[in-house]
Amino acid sequence: MKALENVFDKLRPNFEGDGKLALFWPFFEGAETFFLTPGEKTHQGAHVRDPMDLKRLMIFVDFALVPCILMALWNTGYQAYLYEGLVGADGGILGKVGFLDYILRGAWHFFPLYFVTFAVGGAWEGLFCVVRKHEINEGFLVSSLLFPLTLPPTTPLWMVALGISFGIVIGKEVFGGVGMNILNPALTARAFVFFAYPASISGAKIWDAAGSATPGTALTNLGAYAVNGDVPVNALVDGYTGATPLLAVSSGADGARALDLLAAQGWSFSDLLFGFVPGSMGETSALACLLGAVFLIATGLASWRTMLGGVVGLLTMASVFYFLVGGGMPGVDAADVNPLFTLPPWYHLVIGSFAFGIVFMATDPVSSAITPVGRLLYGFFIGVLVVLIRVVNPAYPEGVMLAILFMNVFAPLLDWVVVRQTANKRKKRLAPVGAPAAAAAK
Amino acid sequence: MSVHVLRRGLDVPIAGGASGSPQQLPTPATVSIDPRELKGVIPRLAARPGDRVLKGQPLFYNKRRPEMMFLSAVTGTVKSVERGHRRVITDVVVEVDASSEEEASFRTWSASELAAISRDDARNQLLAGGLWFTLRARPLSRIADPDHVPQGILICGTETGPLQPGPDVTLAHDAKDAVQAGVHVLKALTDGKVSLTLSKGSAHPALVGLSGVEMHTFAGPHPSGDATVQVNHVDPPKGERRVWYVSAADVARIGRLFLEGRYDAERVYAAVGVGCKQPRFVMTVIGAPVADIVGGVKDGSMRWIRGSILTGDTIDAGRYGGWFASAVHVLPDEVPRKLLAWMLPAFGRYSVHRAYLSGWTGGKNKDLRPGLFGGHRGLVPVGQYRRVTVTPNIEPEFLMKALAAGDLEESISMGMLEFSEEEAALCTYICPSKIEFDVLLQKGLDLYEKET
Repeated sequence: MKALENVFDKLRPNFEGDGKLALFWPFFEGAETFFLTPGEKTHQGAHVRDPMDLKRLMIFVDFALVPCILMALWNTGYQAYLYEGLVGADGGILGKVGFLDYILRGAWHFFPLYFVTFAVGGAWEGLFCVVRKHEINEGFLVSSLLFPLTLPPTTPLWMVALGISFGIVIGKEVFGGVGMNILNPALTARAFVFFAYPASISGAKIWDAAGSATPGTALTNLGAYAVNGDVPVNALVDGYTGATPLLAVSSGADGARALDLLAAQGWSFSDLLFGFVPGSMGETSALACLLGAVFLIATGLASWRTMLGGVVGLLTMASVFYFLVGGGMPGVDAADVNPLFTLPPWYHLVIGSFAFGIVFMATDPVSSAITPVGRLLYGFFIGVLVVLIRVVNPAYPEGVMLAILFMNVFAPLLDWVVVRQTANKRKKRLAPVGAPAAAAAK
Repeated sequence: MSVHVLRRGLDVPIAGGASGSPQQLPTPATVSIDPRELKGVIPRLAARPGDRVLKGQPLFYNKRRPEMMFLSAVTGTVKSVERGHRRVITDVVVEVDASSEEEASFRTWSASELAAISRDDARNQLLAGGLWFTLRARPLSRIADPDHVPQGILICGTETGPLQPGPDVTLAHDAKDAVQAGVHVLKALTDGKVSLTLSKGSAHPALVGLSGVEMHTFAGPHPSGDATVQVNHVDPPKGERRVWYVSAADVARIGRLFLEGRYDAERVYAAVGVGCKQPRFVMTVIGAPVADIVGGVKDGSMRWIRGSILTGDTIDAGRYGGWFASAVHVLPDEVPRKLLAWMLPAFGRYSVHRAYLSGWTGGKNKDLRPGLFGGHRGLVPVGQYRRVTVTPNIEPEFLMKALAAGDLEESISMGMLEFSEEEAALCTYICPSKIEFDVLLQKGLDLYEKET
């Protein structure tokens, strides 16, 4: 370790002051503090400091994402093989296409997205640090991991690069970097891709095309194509996609029951909970998100208030729809409405990306509300909005991204209300009580 | 008696505490006082280098209030007056004449006279007797203005600062008469109440059964024992009014000035910290050399801190003990670097954050070092400030932002004037973004003083 210190000490002059590489000081600093705790001493303020820093904070959020990443790898591979009718078929590494194959197939999809995100986003991050002469911000470690997890596995890489560029530059750096941003950078990136290239991320055409093919028969079709020699096999496999559960429900005819529509695809509550369904890579498993939530709350890195508020808001709004309109009340028949009205509230918790959003996106301490009451309200409104967009808005089957971005914008307003109330309470407490004239300040 | 339990806050676990009873130090060769610690006072010399001063004779006075005297703690000769930046007086050094027992004397009062002492008599004797400085006013923690009639006075009989000596050590157990006399004097200065705070479970014989005081008990981690925090809970200053605070040991000093007619310059200092060869309590005079107080230090580079590791000032080893700061902390000034520490579970390294295993178990290694342990970043509010904020009706993140923006009006409406220095220092200690809240607060308060 002493040797490592010496290496950095030897290199340091090149990066400092008039050194040849002074421009790249942020990279040197980043590398040095990656390996070694900073040796900088306190020179003002409290003499001693807690060893906790943002590096550890952000890395621990990454640790919390590990269950989601593993699930993303497994499920992406599983869905791909399922679609091709190869699950359990002969072949693969272990004789039959199984666990390891799924993971490898998932990795084949996930890691290119992750590396592109990291390289492109990191380049922007580095550029801004060099220009601003800032240290490299660790917040990117989390954003770069969150963003690919919110994407469908087949998103083109150039789109990923554009998306993360927008997220990092417009979502974060123009505001001044970590701690200053108004919107969650990863979600901003996703929103960009979502609105700029709707056809590739959730467009109706793509889903329709997938939906019209019966899962499990794709390979047969593929084989036919291959035999005909019209289309290269790889192109077809890369083009694979499937309907997500939310889309399956929302595209049902008015008057259909949500659970019937799910059952028709073979999805039960536990499939949704464990995440054995198609969707964006990281979002499908509510259970993996729950594990992450436990870790984040235990380590005190994310607000349980935001999560609690979100769950309560979602259940409240979903209950209103389900019990009043959707026929949830015994003896009351469902009205002839959008099938999403008939989705029981507890399904809303595990379907789509709510769990992922509320645990990892909404709790971003910078873009969320700050005051404890503000955080409860902020979470609550996210939950309410998610259900509103899902159920009432016909344009989008999923509303988590929009709900969180919307509340990111409103979080300062919630805080403002709470903070003013606190200020008024204090003013009242400290109001003068018939102060004698002699006591007034000279 | 009311009980205040403050659940928030933090006792920073640091090794090197002193124990036992204070040992009497021989009279030091030189004694000096640093007027900069007396916030709000502009010193004007009353004695020149070469002048002989008796113990209890003025060394300097306050330019704004010439009747406010600051007295020599020893009999001897003024050796030198040191000046620092912009010729501010940093030291008035007196060479001690150990052979002389002479000292200045003041009017003495009987206990019954004191019970009915007038405001003017109390005020004048405190100003002339050099003990006015012990009274500080909230908000701002400046030396009290003799023209004010405070809303109330708080006597602080608690101490929770890291390794700081409390009244158990600094206040003699047989000082009850002196404390009672001091309480009478303080009662004459205010038209409100005089409150005395004790820590829960404490039964200092000089502080129980006093008449004329309202008792308050405080429990909880630091900063529950800090007077400026307690003021907000016991007697928050309303409107433009002020609440004065004074330590219990200083109340005994005030009592002796009136009962015995002499300037009591004896005081207890604590020499603490891992850098001290032998952490200890010593009995000496105000402004004794810190080298005498500490005795011996270990080898290596050391940081000498007058006060606590949270709010103390870094001083040179050749300097002198403080007026208010009752400890000298010697902190090893070396920061060992750790490999890949951001991912280690770190049992040993103490952290309050639960992202360290020691945040759950309480770390064993209390050898804290003056390292930053991270880079300065924008605020990532994971609730860190709220863990140590005990002043009511404060939204600390928003106070910090208002201070950082230099927005005075907003800072005041966010509670800048009530927020205590100790809380701000704890916020600095705890912040993963390494934001120096205490520095920001001080800047805000300085700006406020300049503009009012």
